[in-house]
Amino acid sequence: MTEAALPAPVAAPAVDRERLAAIGFVLPSFVIIAGVFALPLVLLLGVSVVDANGLTFAHYKRLLGTPYYLGVIWNSLRLGLLTTLIAFLISYPAAFALARARGALRSVLLATLFLPLAASVIVKAFAWTILLRSDGIVNETLIALGIIEDPIRMIFTETALIVGAVNIFLPFMILPIYAIVAQLDPRYAEAAATLGASPVGTFFRVILPLTLPGIIAGVALVFSLSVSAYVVPTLLIGEKYPTLATTIAKAYLLAREPGFGAAAGVVLLAIAIAVVALSARLSREPK
Amino acid sequence: MMTRAAIIVCWVMAIALALFLIAPLLVIAAASFSPTPVFDLPLTGASTRWYGKISRLDGFWPSLLLSLQIALFSTAISLVCGTLAAIAIARGKLPGAGIFATALVSPLMMPGLVLGIALLQGFRAIGFTAPWATLLVAHLVITLPYVARTMIAGLARFDFTLIEAARTLGCTYPGGVLRVMVPALAPSFLIAGLFSFLASFDNYPVSIFLADVRTKTLPIRMLQYIEEAPDPTLAALSTLILAGTVILLVVSDRVVGLHRMAGTSD
Amino acid sequence: MSESSPHLVVRGVSKRYGPTTVLDHIDLTIRRGELVTLLGPSGCGKTTLLRAIAGLAQPDTGKVELAGRDITNVPPHKRNVGVVFQSYALFPHLTVAGNVAFGLKVRGAAKREIDAAVERALSLVKLGHLGGRRISALSGGQQQRVALARAIAVEPDVLLFDEALSALDRKLREEMQVELRRLLQDVKATAIFVTHDQDEALTMSDRVAVMNKGRIEQLAEPRELYLRPASLFALNFVGLSTRISGTVLAADNGKVDVETKLGRMSALGNFQAGSPVIVAARPEQLRLGEQGEANSAAGRVRSVVFQGSRTLVEVDAGAGESLLAELSGRDGAIPRVHDEIRLSWPVTETFAFPMEAQA
Repeated sequence: MTEAALPAPVAAPAVDRERLAAIGFVLPSFVIIAGVFALPLVLLLGVSVVDANGLTFAHYKRLLGTPYYLGVIWNSLRLGLLTTLIAFLISYPAAFALARARGALRSVLLATLFLPLAASVIVKAFAWTILLRSDGIVNETLIALGIIEDPIRMIFTETALIVGAVNIFLPFMILPIYAIVAQLDPRYAEAAATLGASPVGTFFRVILPLTLPGIIAGVALVFSLSVSAYVVPTLLIGEKYPTLATTIAKAYLLAREPGFGAAAGVVLLAIAIAVVALSARLSREPK
Repeated sequence: MMTRAAIIVCWVMAIALALFLIAPLLVIAAASFSPTPVFDLPLTGASTRWYGKISRLDGFWPSLLLSLQIALFSTAISLVCGTLAAIAIARGKLPGAGIFATALVSPLMMPGLVLGIALLQGFRAIGFTAPWATLLVAHLVITLPYVARTMIAGLARFDFTLIEAARTLGCTYPGGVLRVMVPALAPSFLIAGLFSFLASFDNYPVSIFLADVRTKTLPIRMLQYIEEAPDPTLAALSTLILAGTVILLVVSDRVVGLHRMAGTSD
Repeated sequence: MSESSPHLVVRGVSKRYGPTTVLDHIDLTIRRGELVTLLGPSGCGKTTLLRAIAGLAQPDTGKVELAGRDITNVPPHKRNVGVVFQSYALFPHLTVAGNVAFGLKVRGAAKREIDAAVERALSLVKLGHLGGRRISALSGGQQQRVALARAIAVEPDVLLFDEALSALDRKLREEMQVELRRLLQDVKATAIFVTHDQDEALTMSDRVAVMNKGRIEQLAEPRELYLRPASLFALNFVGLSTRISGTVLAADNGKVDVETKLGRMSALGNFQAGSPVIVAARPEQLRLGEQGEANSAAGRVRSVVFQGSRTLVEVDAGAGESLLAELSGRDGAIPRVHDEIRLSWPVTETFAFPMEAQA
């Protein structure tokens, strides 16, 4: 074979071949995400603005113009906000302890995170219905401790809802925070201290900004999960706390109002997308 | 002093969090041994009779079988597709890889219920209504993001020079992938498979819109039992599912170590 | 096949990535048993050339022959080369012995044969006792040895080292350089090293190829490379030097007279009168005071760096030029900073290079 037998153009197809292989590799996933995720969501948007007579915004008017449905939207947001806030307040300090834990203690603590994460949401929600019954273990403990005299009604209250939601979505808050905290170099805090920062100053100027990516990830995940939770409100509070999720389910499964259900779905989707977009933007901001 | 107080607060929170998280699981396990049909806790005795009644629950076996099938098949398909996509993304030869990676994991952050109704509308629009098949296709969107997220992270740490080393030692390219990349990524495969299986097996919000009277997944069936007639049989069933999960977790811990699942490297 | 016959031949190999020419018609012939280093800054094409020899990069033009066989279009797994990667690329899921056995297993060798080869290779790198260890349980130096054993175990026609010692700390690296050279000579291996470390190149190789911008600027034995650099780039990249710019006044049969800002100097080189050049000399050629038939210049000492057996003296000669002299105790008293001194160096050790874009 002479030199001329290997002309320069050989290289260009080689590069193209690599790119072609890459495209071939992502193609199945692309088909799934585009066809079974993106496209149906676009279609849903379409369903929400049409009825038998053509284009209509009636569903949105009903959703955003009726006090009842505004209350429903607020219920969803309130569930999301309260769950996220409480989960954060518990998780943030706990993540630091978890990051310091070593050996068997760390294994046990991590197991208590992963086991509930792997356990079925329905199983956990069911457990809370047992725990919070008026003759349940929580009431009996409170009575035994002398905190209350008579059993208080907890199941089917907002307290039950929030306790259950925090319990179920907590792992999604602590894991991203823990992942960041565990990699936090203790020398940052030491450096800040040698530079004259007080413990409080070190926390707000060094620790908090460095762990912010984990906080943002956890907050975004827990909020978007809890704002759209369905099983938890259904089992722990029921009809008297209607949310967007239960409204959607009712519209499709009982009332047969797909257009209205789709509109509620689009509103819920918009909330989720806003949270994701906001968190992506926040975590990209320069430190 | 302030620092010491903060450390104490951290530990108190961690212990409280651990107890709080584990409480419902312990309660379920305890309730499943209840001697009476009501959940009297603390237990006044112990009985295993509820475990015997699980198999007599209405429609239990078909639902369990269906959920296992859907979870296994969707996980298997997602493992193949998601790994291939993650390889293309990690090699950096793909235009727009970053955007595509985001798109791949985005269903994780989207409300499952909305995906459920969107798929219901979409499948109806094209006349695709066979429940088993629609459930499988829908669960691909549930499982693929878990696989993609884990495999992209795993491959980002994978040194592709290993494949080159295998090639210079006598492996073909596919041979190198099989002999070196697959074993080196075994922990990632395991984690991805585990979480994607559990996500599918536990899914309710998507499945509920695609199931019909005869084709109900286990979570749908369980919610129905709870709403109709909650008794310790359900606790027994839940405990069995939990036990299965514990076994899966213990095995994975033996193989890869739990702390690696939390995303830390040491 | 005799010792001096060409064993690895690279002929007219070029490679472009988009608009960048990474290899520009490389010719390189290596004899059997020779240790050759490709030396150059990052981006000079040395690693791409190594990868082209290993089959991991496909050249656009040209061909590669190994052990009398044209391997230009042979995939890497059929080339019978051994590569030691910069990151070592040890398989994390296999033990030390598993890594070393890998190449032979893939080749389908018998178990007894594999075991014997693994033992041989591991004892060669002095790791005979660590066969059962996991890779993650090894130190960096041990991993380097395992990577070497793995490459040697398949008895390759050529061993290729891609910055293989650069991850080791300095002391370990210097020990490995000497040990590796002795080991490769013992097993009569033909090897190519890629490095940007001139000390490594000079220590390890029979010949060094200095590469720059996809071309081999000079291929020579280490001593010749240092004493007779063929280009300004080679001069700059290997060792230190005094460099003074000027213009050729007269040329005479391999010798030129150059007008510089420090006065008239003579140097070896072939140029036409009027050419802009740089005259250069190695620092150890510069002596204090005058000497016969020598170039000389005076200035004020800017810095004095004591380096054990020698002292490096930098002199500000004015007009933006500086001189670098390496003085030993035998040269008399070492000057101090701010001293006014005169340095001279023989014309036969002064070289003129065409002035080009500084590398």
